[in-house]
Amino acid sequence: MPETEAVMPRTDDNASLVALLNATWFGANLPPETQVRLAGLARRYQAGAGTTLLAEGQLANELGIVLSGRVSLRTLVPEEGWITILTVEPGDIFGQSAVVAPYRSTSTVVALQPVDVLALDGPGLRAALAADHDLAAELYPRLLQALARRLSATRLQMLDLFAR
Amino acid sequence: MTSVTKSATGFLPRARFQQLIDLLVEDGRTVIGPKVADGAIVYGELRSVADLPKGMGAEQRPGAYHLHDRGDDRLFAYAVGPTSWKRFVFPPTLDTAESRRDENGHVSFGRVRHEIPKLAFLGVRACELAALGIEDRVFLGGPYTDEDYRARRSSAFIVAVQCAEPASTCFCASMGTGPGVRDGHDLSLVELADGFLVSPGSPAGSALFERLDLIDAATDQLTAASDQLVSARDRIGDPIVAAGLHDRLLAQLDSPRWAEIAERCLACTNCTMSCPTCFCTSASQRSDLDGHVAVTERRWESCFTKGFSAVALGGNFRPRVQDRYRQWLTHKFASWIDQFGTSGCVGCGRCIAWCPAGIDIREELNHIAPPPQAALGNGHAPEGQPRATRVFRVDAARSETHDTVTLALSRPEGMDWASEHGEFVMVSVPAVGSVPISISRRLPTGMELTIRAVGPASTMLTGLEHGAEVGLSAPLGRGWPIEAAEGHDVVIVGGGMGLPPLRPVIDEIVEHRAKYGEVHIYHGARTPGDLLYTQELAAWAARGDLDVGVTVDRADQHWLGRVGIVTHLFDHARWDGSKAVAFVCGPQRMIQATINTLASHGITPDRVFVSMERHMECGVGLCGHCQMGPYFVCKDGPVFSLAQLGDAFGREGI
Repeated sequence: MPETEAVMPRTDDNASLVALLNATWFGANLPPETQVRLAGLARRYQAGAGTTLLAEGQLANELGIVLSGRVSLRTLVPEEGWITILTVEPGDIFGQSAVVAPYRSTSTVVALQPVDVLALDGPGLRAALAADHDLAAELYPRLLQALARRLSATRLQMLDLFAR
Repeated sequence: MTSVTKSATGFLPRARFQQLIDLLVEDGRTVIGPKVADGAIVYGELRSVADLPKGMGAEQRPGAYHLHDRGDDRLFAYAVGPTSWKRFVFPPTLDTAESRRDENGHVSFGRVRHEIPKLAFLGVRACELAALGIEDRVFLGGPYTDEDYRARRSSAFIVAVQCAEPASTCFCASMGTGPGVRDGHDLSLVELADGFLVSPGSPAGSALFERLDLIDAATDQLTAASDQLVSARDRIGDPIVAAGLHDRLLAQLDSPRWAEIAERCLACTNCTMSCPTCFCTSASQRSDLDGHVAVTERRWESCFTKGFSAVALGGNFRPRVQDRYRQWLTHKFASWIDQFGTSGCVGCGRCIAWCPAGIDIREELNHIAPPPQAALGNGHAPEGQPRATRVFRVDAARSETHDTVTLALSRPEGMDWASEHGEFVMVSVPAVGSVPISISRRLPTGMELTIRAVGPASTMLTGLEHGAEVGLSAPLGRGWPIEAAEGHDVVIVGGGMGLPPLRPVIDEIVEHRAKYGEVHIYHGARTPGDLLYTQELAAWAARGDLDVGVTVDRADQHWLGRVGIVTHLFDHARWDGSKAVAFVCGPQRMIQATINTLASHGITPDRVFVSMERHMECGVGLCGHCQMGPYFVCKDGPVFSLAQLGDAFGREGI
């Protein structure tokens, strides 16, 4: 595993967080009130290449949205080392375990390039999804879409199509 | 005795039948006709009328064939047996080509030409004349032709015999081929109680007719012949409705009956081997011990064998017996019509009598596709003949990955390469055989081929070095319709070894960049080490006017690029597919995932072009291996639009 580098928090006002959210696939075209609500749960940070943003098995306290750069989702395979299962590109999410019990990360997330991340507070997001059904109705389909896409992609990876 | 005039009908008493055989022999012909062997009536050389199955009958039922003594003197009172004339015009095994490698490594390729025997076929039934007519369309209808077949076929003198004793397995009347003899013969016979009515059917037949000692046919003999034919037709009946069978059958690709038949079918290939029209073949190499001389042997093959549709590394497009039975039946009665303008079945019933499981295709057809309505496709127009193998030289061999090499090959001097179109070439190596390889770049002096070592032939090719020689066919198949992309945005998706066939498209776009809108090039590979053309991909990306994305399915921690399936490269892309044309090549399952994502971007099936993988052996649509529904992938493809493929794309077992 690369050594963890310092994570640089940034301070952005709510309006600029909304603008950033709106520029991503995950956050685009949500109702304004939903975006404002999510921005209220968000913090923005930057991290250098090689930074471990989240470790497999640890509590996932934040749902991350990649604003720029690339992060890898890795898992440690005995005798093979760290295998990258998927890379997450700008606009897409990682750390969705933050909203799915038991809230522990299923992979280790490492920045492959300097990354700019919008992170939504996990406990706050869970509380909001439980209390605000409009928010939940907007957000869950996007979460499901992201997960479904990864599920079908993983199936194809498992088929190892290019082996033959 | 009165001599009869040309084009009339004469009568040849049975006692004089030897004269017909004698005249054929006198003309230098070997006479082939029915004789009893191994408990059946088969075709073999006849020296005398005594060789004919005098007084023999043959009872035939599904899965059963029994000879019996009729107690009369008739020579042709039985329906067709297990052999057909196919074996005399299209031999079960035939040496077709020879390749040599001399001490200096120079290779040469040539055709094996055979001395064609002068034959006479005696006792050809109406259904068999129709079968020969069908084979003519298959082998001579073009665009590629079988010259050995042409020579054998045109040298044979055909004496037809009207059927009087059909078997219970016969259904020529339904297929419109019999029992009456109409055309395609030199001489025709109708056997009556004491002799034969004889009529000429061609100039050669007329000449022989004049030499026979015939007497005028009496009116009652003509009446007896007519009654005999009517009786035969009545007994055959009309067990299947051929009109509209094409559409009815193709509408039933998902019938549960296919799986039921597969429980009875042994996939023994008897039906295809006894069929007078099945034409599929495989080729194998026979080499001397030091590999200097090798001969290509073509032999009859069957779509019922598991290996028939197998591709490299264990893949198989028709792994189940039900897939193979469906392929056979739908080809015979439906896609054959699309390919050759005629049904592939003549109703001879051999596949019924000689099926050890007694599967009756009349019953299966009526079950799967009960009656009617008509539709016939267009046949091929005659054009040319198989092209020669020419020797190309390896100018350079560049390693792409641990198992993949790009060979730069230069053409022979004087060859007009610029006019050669096509998507792939058959690459031949003496003693190894031929493999189809896509052209990965067209060069003024020749071409590049990118080859992955997956089998003996491709492994041998990837080991070639500068100066080595290989045999190449002319470019074959229909390639990417790049002209369809002019003025449009272009999306190119190449997965694994799917990128090499697309490289000429990229070259064309790079050369004439202004003709195209936005261009997106996506390449997916198994691991970073399997990525092809990495420097070229980087150079294309560096141009700034091509959007290039690369991803791998799996990677270790040292890979800093993308990981994920190839669709990850563009599933969130913001380009508008409504103006785009897509070219996609890779494993079929990857293509399916890709076209789903392309569809979500608004690219319609008529603007998505894919290259289909199939077992290609001859490369010119004559061996039958690469069939996919109505198409021969080698000749009609390998590139198709999704709209063209319709629901054949992705269907199991097609």
